[in-house]
Parts: sequence; structure tokens; C-alpha cells
Amino acid sequence: MEDLSKSSLNFFADQQLCSADILSPLEVRARIEVSVINFLKILNSPDPAISDLPLINRKSSNSRVSQGLLTDVSWIFLSHSFCTRSLTKSNAAKAFVRVWKVMETCFQILSQEKRVTQRELFYKLLCDSPEYFTSQLQVNRTIQDVIALLHCSRFSLGIVASSRGLVAGRLMLQEPNQEVIDCSACGSSGYSISGDLSLLEKLDLKTDARQHQHLTHGCLQHAIFQRLTEDFVFNQIPSILITAKGYPDIATRFLLHRLNRAFPDLPILALVDWNPAGLAILCTFKFGSIGMGMEAYRYACNVKWLGLRGDDVQLIPEQSLLPLKPRDLQIARSLMSSEILQENYKEELSLMVHNGQRAEVEALYFHGYDYLGKYIAKKIVQADYI
Amino acid sequence: MLKWKQSKKMEGNRRRSHLERHDLLRKIKEFCKSILKDITERRSLSISINQFRNYCKNLDAHCSCSYDFPQGQEILTLEKQCHARRIEQSIVDQAINDICILLQCSRHNINVVSAGKGMVMGWLRFLESGAKFDCINSPNDAHPIPTFVEKVKDIVSTANYILVVEKESVFHRLANDQYCTRNRCIVITGRGYPDISTRRFLRLLIEKLRLPTFCLVDCDPYGFDILTTYRFGSMQMAYDAKFLRIPEMHWLGAFPSDFEKYGLPKNCRLKLTVEDTRKTEAMLHRCYLQREVPHWRSELELMLQSGVKFEIEAFCACSFSFLSEKYIPSKIQEFERLAV
Repeated sequence: MEDLSKSSLNFFADQQLCSADILSPLEVRARIEVSVINFLKILNSPDPAISDLPLINRKSSNSRVSQGLLTDVSWIFLSHSFCTRSLTKSNAAKAFVRVWKVMETCFQILSQEKRVTQRELFYKLLCDSPEYFTSQLQVNRTIQDVIALLHCSRFSLGIVASSRGLVAGRLMLQEPNQEVIDCSACGSSGYSISGDLSLLEKLDLKTDARQHQHLTHGCLQHAIFQRLTEDFVFNQIPSILITAKGYPDIATRFLLHRLNRAFPDLPILALVDWNPAGLAILCTFKFGSIGMGMEAYRYACNVKWLGLRGDDVQLIPEQSLLPLKPRDLQIARSLMSSEILQENYKEELSLMVHNGQRAEVEALYFHGYDYLGKYIAKKIVQADYI
Repeated sequence: MLKWKQSKKMEGNRRRSHLERHDLLRKIKEFCKSILKDITERRSLSISINQFRNYCKNLDAHCSCSYDFPQGQEILTLEKQCHARRIEQSIVDQAINDICILLQCSRHNINVVSAGKGMVMGWLRFLESGAKFDCINSPNDAHPIPTFVEKVKDIVSTANYILVVEKESVFHRLANDQYCTRNRCIVITGRGYPDISTRRFLRLLIEKLRLPTFCLVDCDPYGFDILTTYRFGSMQMAYDAKFLRIPEMHWLGAFPSDFEKYGLPKNCRLKLTVEDTRKTEAMLHRCYLQREVPHWRSELELMLQSGVKFEIEAFCACSFSFLSEKYIPSKIQEFERLAV
């Protein structure tokens, strides 16, 4: 009975979800203007007051899980629990002012039609308002506050984070009014994914991988990506390869999501190192994150774990198995306690922690430089992914 | 010792890009033969590896550092008891460098490459492994620098200069400000310490296009170190320095003196940490600074004396596009004025 009521709540999951909208510069400026007008209205009313700023809480207590019912995609999202920034609380007054200062600067950026990084914003604020801003961390937190207040995405505010993602393989990209880019002929480095989400949105995507049976998107780390691209593995096993070179940024996740929507028949497989951090990367692609919870949930995809997994450890030579570091164990603990992680992933994670060892995908080169291609092909053909 | 090494000394300056595969295979076979000979004739086994260095800490003007000739030799011998050591990446890297020194070749000649991370944009077009890189049509779009630089051909450019920037964020700032639309140039970034492909690609561009090259780094010890890596090469790859360094590179900025000159607010400066101070003091001792770029050395001394550093992004304090609209163009104009 309990399970039934839990699952019926999923039908209303959308109501619980608090999302940051992707808006045009004009719309964001309008929201900022509305906030200012509201503030002034209350200040000017017969019962004047300095209104508090209601921000969506970015703590795990406010995070919820949406288990896919009709689809097999699940994600983490933030719900409608608020925390407030208030001018009247003595030690939190500066935080209140900081939110307004960042909104002001974003308004200017949007009016000039520019895009800036968080670091550049830091220096501008340091110069313009030195009494309120002293560190980069403060600026980043305040930006997240503005997102939580205005409910618009970071990119809509005109703030970019550069992307380190690359894509290669059987994919044809076309930017509007540009030449078609063939990602299988991009040379050994592939096509670098831009941090500009509006550009990624406009890309026209085509693949010829449909005619073939086993198609995949592979999420990988950089050196493996390079190796597979040089060996033209995507021609032998028709596929598209994508890497975020570490912890996935929004732009790479955005592109992966777009690829998934454009080619829903292609499974997404991840090849990560055998350690908790590798699994954490997979989970970020798969479910999103709490830190950017109002935006990240949108780009969740049904990523399946190809390798390295528990069964593959026997392929790794003894001398390539390294001990887990304290940080790895910390990551493992937080993953284990997450309610969204499925049982078979938790089993693999306990195996990792129990053996106390980690291994990199590169350790497979022990068996020869072409071994990796064969390993991937075998796993795909046997549908050995979870 | 290995006799063939002495005869090869005459050809010391032979260009490595012309080294054929069979030359290297022949050298490897000869080396193995001589080791085998030593074993059968019961001589003690030893390998002599030339040691190269870019610079020394010797402050008097007569040090023997040079890019062309080794400064000594390291003798490796086979000990009776070999301690089993875990093979680590650093050991393999050192071994690869030793092999390159022995065979008198570069890393790419023995097919060892690393994942490249540089990017390029601007008025440039070239072919690599059949893929066409056309930056001319969209001069503000970034393209990755190819890993296999020897496969780059048909370089075409209408640029007036090459600008090398230390950080990716500065690269993107220039792209966002449409810098290449208003200025005919090529912009390259190594995203920090430049990897071998970036440095070789830059070398190739300069050889083919003969353009003035400017470097824009943060005004801090790491920025300066990256500048010297481009100009003089790194110590780790000292044996290959003559093919990797860029002797024509100019330091565009940022200088410690620029802070006052362009009226940046004081709180945008950061204090030099203990680590920074140590690094700066160590760099001041490098012999090539005094010998080749004494004006760079005085700026570095100024940084140390003032005890402060600043990042390129600090220019945003004036305005977000200050860098591309005022700072860089004025610095380049200054160079052109002095050059005339």
C-alpha cells in the first residue's frame, strides 16, 4: 500500500519541481525589473517594510527524486522549500545586498548583450562594491541565489562557464548558416563543445548510425576518447563518442541530452574508471546534481554503465590496481546514501569499497593497444551494461 | 661506449621532421647489438645519456647552457640487485625522454603523443589528416589544435600577428568580444602550460607565416613561467628545446607596471603567497633571463619587490571589453611604433 501511494505521488512530481527557466535576455531583464518594482511597492505602501528575498533552498533536504514511470529516466530536482535573505538579520544583511548587486550587474551585462565568466564578474563586483564582495566563492554563491530568486538559468543571466567537452563519431552537426561538420572527420581531437548553450540549442543533428544495429553514445574521459577517435572505433562500432574531460559541465550534458532526444533509439553507455569518482560522473550525467538542481534535472539521460565494473576487475593486472583514497570513500558514502541510486549500482559500489581498490580504464592497455576496442565491442554485442 | 653516437655528432642539427622510421629502427637495432656485444664479451653494461638543460642558476655571464649541445652525461648502469619498483607514470616519462636523447629524435618520432588541449581561432585555414580546419569563415570560433602536427599542411592565413594567451577564459573573452572580426590575427591558447602539440603547432605557424608573435599572461609567477616555457622551452623537454622554443616571442603583458598605467583599483591586486615568492626568486636566477631578456627580468623583479600580482580578468574592473578594445590594441600599437 505504501509503495502505491509513493508511486502515485510521482504523477504530481512536476508540481513539486522547482525549475529555472531558460529565458531570453529581455525576459530576464523584465524579471529583474519586476523584483525591483515589487520591492519599491512594498517600501512605498501604507505599511512600509523591507521585503525579504525568498530563495529556493539548495540543500539535500530540499532535493527530491523523480523516478521515471513511463520513461526510464530519473532525476534529482529541488522542491519549493525556501530560505530567505533579509536585511533585518544583522549578520546576514550583506548577503541580502549582494543579491541586489549581482542582479544589477547582470542587468547591465544583458543590456550590453555580453556574456561574462564568474571570474570576470568577481573583479567587476570587487571594483564596484568592495565592501560587499571579498571572494570568488561569495560571488558564485550569490549567483546561485539570484538563480534561486528569479528562477532563471545561469546562462540566461549572461554568465557562461566554458565547456571542456568534445564529441566525435558518426554525427553531422550544422550550426545555422555554416558548413556541415562531420564529427568522424574532425581529426584526432573531435569537435569541441561550445559553452554557449544557445548555439548548442540551434545545432542541427544528424546521424547515419540508424541503419546499423548497435549504436551508442559513449561517455568517456579524454585520453580514452582520443585513443578511440584515432583508431576510428566509431566506424567499426557505429557510435558517437563524447567526453566532458572530468566532471561534466552543463554544456556537455546539454548536448548529450539533445543527442538523446534526437536519436532516442541509441543507447547511452558510459565507460568510466573503476572508482567512486567515476561512478559519480556517471550519476551526474544520469540524474543531474543538487548544486545546480534547478537547472541540472533537465539534462538527465538514461545512461547505462558499460564499464569498468566488478566483473572487469579480473582483466586488470595486479600492479594496476591502486588503493582507494579517503576522498574516494567519502564519495562512496554519499552515493550509497542517495535514494536515487539503483540496487545493482549500489552492489558494484559496495564491491569497490569492500576490495578497497580502484583502477583506470587505461589499465586495459596491458592486453595491447587494440584491446579496448575489442572490449567495448564485446560488451555492446552481449548487451553487457546496466 | 656507443661508437655510432660520435659519428652522428656531425649531423647534430639535422631536422627531426626528416627522420625516417627506418633510421630510428636502425638506431634501435644498433643499440641493442652493442648491448648484446657488451654482454657476450662480459663487459659491464652502461648506457651514457646526454643531459640537456635550458638554463642554470649560475649568475655569472659565462655559463655553458645552450640549446644545441648537451651539458654533461648521465651514466646508467645495471646493478646486480634490481629493486622491484612499481612502474609509475613519472618513471615512464623519464624513460621516454632518455630514449629520445639516445636516439636523437623527438617524442613524436617514436609515436608517443599526448592528448592535446590547445585551441586556435582567427584568420587561418589548414588541413590535418584530410580534415579541413577553416577558421577564416568564422574567425571567432574556437578549434582544437591538432595532436599530429606533422600532418598539418596547406596553411593559409591573412593575419598580421599571432596572439598567444595563457588562459582559456581570456580566449573566450576575446571570442565573445568578436576580437578577430576587428583585428586580423590568429589567437592561440595552450590552456595553461602549453603541451607539445601546441608548441609545435605554434612553431610551424611562425615558420610558414613569419608573423610577429605576442604572449599575454597573468601578471604572476605562473604566468611568467608559462611565458618562458613558450619562449625558451621547458626543462623537462630541454633535449628538444631547439624544436619547441619560440625565440621570436614578445611579452605583450600583463606587466606589473600596467596596473598603475591603466588605473586599476587597488583591491584587484592579490598578495604574492610564500610559494609565489619562492618561485619568483628561483626564476630570477635563470641564466637566460639576464643573457637574452634583461627587460623581462626587471619586470619580474618589480613584481617581487611590490609583493603583489594580478590576473588578466582584473581589467574587467574597468569594463568587460576593456581588454579587447583598449588594452591589447594599445599594446600592439606600441610594439609597432617601436619596431618602425
